[in-house]
Amino acid sequence: MPRWGMVVDLEKCTGCQTCSVACKVENALGPMTDRVVVVEKEMGTYPNVQRIHIPKRCMHCADPKCVGVCPSGATQQRDDGIVTVDQDMCVGCRYCMMACPYNARVFQAVEQSYHSPPSKWEVQRYKEHTVGVVGKCDFCKSRIDEGLQGGLKPGVDPDATPMCVISCIGTALTFGDLDDPASEVSQLIESRETVQFLPEMQTDPSIYYLPRRR
Amino acid sequence: MKKIPTYCNQCYNGPDLFNVVVEDGIARSIEPNPACKDISPAEGKVCVKAYGLLQKMYNPNRIKSPLLRTNPKKGRHEDPGFKEISWDEALAILTEKLKETRGDEGLDEAGFPRLAVIMGQAASPAAYSGTFPALLSAWGPIDYTLGAGQGIKCYHSEHLYGEYWHRCFIAASDTPRCKLLVSFGHNTNASGGAAGVLRHARARDRGYKRIQIEPHLSATATTSDEWVPIRVKTDAAFLYAMVHVLLCEMDRGRSCDVPYLKRRTNSPYLVGPRGYFIRDKRSKSPLVWDLADATAKTHDALDIGDFALEGEYTVSGVEIGPDGQEWEHENVSCKPSFQRLIEFIEQYTPEWAAEICDVPIETIRRIAHEIVENAHIGETIEISGETLPYRPVAITLGKTVNNGPGGYQVCWARTVLTMLIGALEVPGGTIGASQRLNKPHHDRWSSIWPGKDGFMQNSLNPTDAKNWSASPQNRARYEQLLPLVLNTGWSPFLSNYPLAWLTMEDDWENIPRTTLPEVVLLYRANPSISMYFTNLIEEKMAKFPFFACMGYTLDETNHFADLILPDHTDLEGLQLFRIGPSVHSESYWTSYGFALRQPVVEPVVNSMDMTDFSTEVADRVGLLEDYNGAINAGLILGIRLKGDASDHELQAGKKYDTEEIWDRLCKAATMALSDGKEERGLSWFQENGYYAVPYPQIRHYLHPVMVRWGLRYELPYQENIRRVGEELANRLHENDIHWWDDQLVEYQTFPECEDFTKIWEDACRQVGADPADYDFWLVNTRSMQFAWGSNVAVPMMAEAAKRVSGFKGALINRSVAEKLGIKEDDIITIESFHGRVRARAVPREGVRPDTIVFTGQFGHWKTPFARDLGIPNLNVLTDPKTLVMDSGGSLADVVKVRVRKEV
Repeated sequence: MPRWGMVVDLEKCTGCQTCSVACKVENALGPMTDRVVVVEKEMGTYPNVQRIHIPKRCMHCADPKCVGVCPSGATQQRDDGIVTVDQDMCVGCRYCMMACPYNARVFQAVEQSYHSPPSKWEVQRYKEHTVGVVGKCDFCKSRIDEGLQGGLKPGVDPDATPMCVISCIGTALTFGDLDDPASEVSQLIESRETVQFLPEMQTDPSIYYLPRRR
Repeated sequence: MKKIPTYCNQCYNGPDLFNVVVEDGIARSIEPNPACKDISPAEGKVCVKAYGLLQKMYNPNRIKSPLLRTNPKKGRHEDPGFKEISWDEALAILTEKLKETRGDEGLDEAGFPRLAVIMGQAASPAAYSGTFPALLSAWGPIDYTLGAGQGIKCYHSEHLYGEYWHRCFIAASDTPRCKLLVSFGHNTNASGGAAGVLRHARARDRGYKRIQIEPHLSATATTSDEWVPIRVKTDAAFLYAMVHVLLCEMDRGRSCDVPYLKRRTNSPYLVGPRGYFIRDKRSKSPLVWDLADATAKTHDALDIGDFALEGEYTVSGVEIGPDGQEWEHENVSCKPSFQRLIEFIEQYTPEWAAEICDVPIETIRRIAHEIVENAHIGETIEISGETLPYRPVAITLGKTVNNGPGGYQVCWARTVLTMLIGALEVPGGTIGASQRLNKPHHDRWSSIWPGKDGFMQNSLNPTDAKNWSASPQNRARYEQLLPLVLNTGWSPFLSNYPLAWLTMEDDWENIPRTTLPEVVLLYRANPSISMYFTNLIEEKMAKFPFFACMGYTLDETNHFADLILPDHTDLEGLQLFRIGPSVHSESYWTSYGFALRQPVVEPVVNSMDMTDFSTEVADRVGLLEDYNGAINAGLILGIRLKGDASDHELQAGKKYDTEEIWDRLCKAATMALSDGKEERGLSWFQENGYYAVPYPQIRHYLHPVMVRWGLRYELPYQENIRRVGEELANRLHENDIHWWDDQLVEYQTFPECEDFTKIWEDACRQVGADPADYDFWLVNTRSMQFAWGSNVAVPMMAEAAKRVSGFKGALINRSVAEKLGIKEDDIITIESFHGRVRARAVPREGVRPDTIVFTGQFGHWKTPFARDLGIPNLNVLTDPKTLVMDSGGSLADVVKVRVRKEV
């Protein structure tokens, strides 16, 4: 069984937000419900300044703190490491949001749309999610599952790979099987210095960051 | 679920190919198109803007059917009283007006076209306007010089001088082979499209180095190895000082590519006492000095042993000045232009530049040395089986850097510096991305043939007494004032637009009063926002006798329209368009051909395809024969419908439906591209998306064709530019026109480095203001979400852009903000002597203490959604009296302001 994970190269992310917008379109997300965000961080003082962009999403931790606290069983961890939320089971208690050290989950109390009244697209596609529940990145699990069924390889074949990864124009995102030493993600982790966020939380995230070289 | 292939050309980096996923009659989502991974420089990916296309199409704020003004009074504060009408009514109104207007040859009493057409967004309208250009061609004279921001708000000097020197509309780095890129404000990460970001990401994998020199830490500086915060509009000084280091501080045998200078440039040409090339008396060819036998010879003599680049020599010959003036000389002292360059550049030391640029002396010197160290002078590389020089150093320029006063200087110094190390138009170096003033647009090699004096042929607008245009047929007077803009299809789009707006209905010295166009058609433009001095634009637009706008939503420009006509959005229309081999940026394709943009769903509102519109108008106005003729002649794709192997011509005067027209164009295009072997119609393109054939990569570099023709770049000495300028001065002064005198000064053989601050301050004093009252430079930057695109009404773009520093307001240096008591999100007033705007403060470290930065062009007061963003617009603060135009006709996109916290 693979363990799906991602490597994020902070050297190459330009903060263009293509991944975050592609995710919103793919997953029919309304305003303020982003599952992927790219945040800016400025460091130093003028004139010795750097600004980096950090793409953030659910870390799909090996030891996810959100799963144990979920009273309804909506949050689960699959055998392939993907942490999911079953919208039909979620009761919107938001314990998981409190437990997540990465602030990677969003709660949508009421249906929101970009347009008022909602556009035809919004009316049709927002039916795909439930209001009053918690949402988060699921690595586009339907793309992975359908891709695997079709004999495709996640991280290699676009149709089996998360939308943020295939949309990234800076090649900053790499996806694949962390347990496969031959996968590109494993090779990157092996060959470069990597960082997992908040190691003190002992969550062992599936997202590895390649820090800036300077 | 079905994936429909199409393209995005919302910015000038396109087309980028992608798929739209359609399900249950809804365009569900957007995906890359991996099928074209190996041929497209973007590898089948699209940037953030394309993902907003669904929201753009389904936007409930779209104009849902044609609108007719009911209130004849026009003004910002007047309600136009638009009422919905049918397309039949709308077309009847428009075409009746056009028929009334046509008159004798379409010109009014003053000799200007009665019809003006405004198009915006750099090169992108052509990718969406279907056969509209054929309609315009069929009409006859049209004034395009009221454009909406392309032209004077672009990489303007680079367009003009780049095309003149090396067929380079925009200069790009040969990123896949480059080792060092020195970028003066070229904002690839925001405006280089998917291909730009992707190519630089791959180069970072390879370990290339990018130094970003600009007043604020742009999106591109964030992934650069070094940010050098330079004072606004002092880039020329930095570049001049680097040329100084190479020529006056380093061993020139090591810092320069000497064989390249001798063979490929005018460095050895001898300059006479009057500053013109000294020429052979009989052939009038420029002379060089042959060190091998110590004699003067014509530059193209076959027996030259060794060209002299330095020294002083006694020769006899003739100099040719303006208007055929000649001066004969016997045994006069002459120096090669390279020697004169060394002497000219001596004054521009790093110490001098450091003070002007506010950059440490050692930084300028170090970067100059890095350029030489990385140039690999003498090394070669094999491309497509041919051996070419390998010079992996590139220097690129941003927008504000090379428009307005100083633009010529920056372009000259950059190109000379590139020339010195032999890195112009060779692998790894600085290369042209495309050409637009010269033809064919998609093939730079084919436009090059031998011209005068050993240089490539250039046909500038005439400045001689017999052929100079005394009565221009456009309101910007570009063929009269701008020799380098030429007079081809793209020339109006590179013209000095502000002059057209300023002179309309206004009295100027010794030129006939410029009339208003009787009918103005506007497509994909919003000059109320994107042009300088917005108040003046509104005032003039309110006077247009009949103004028809193709419209997406109500906006600040169509507020002044008599008629608004909603056209299909990007995913609703049908059009075949060229892909590759290169476009306006570093989008170098490995193949070239054609891609289809096609309707992915039924139109969402009662809008019209631009080809349907164009055919219908052509028919109603009685232009069908010429309209079909223009399409037959290749106006749309550069492909004639009747070729050697196939005949798909439209019959004269017959009205065709849109699918039939594009089917014929698809077939003709594929037959032409495949040398008559494959014919692919519309249905094939609808399924497959694009058709392409391999493009030899060597053709991205001019060097081989320059060698083949034995040509030299017209660098570093600008003998012809000076002559042209003197002739232009003669013509204008003969007509008692003196308001262009400041611009005439710029026509110099080696341009003196100008002090832009002084130019601005002098202009400021002339209107009675005290420059000391304004302590900040205000500049504009781009974010990828809004770079071109016309998507300010797309909420998802703004939501994403809010994560970009500065988008929400005005970037200001954090320490300076503290001193002024300004905190994040405080409302500040930014005031020029012309106007005032309010903005949220965004204090950051990554901006110079003397600089304020706005992102994009906003300040909307009508466009739905955008009007609520509260983001300011630099154009509100600019004033025609202080925006000094350069000799190429552009203005600098900067203004001096003062900043106060609102209490």
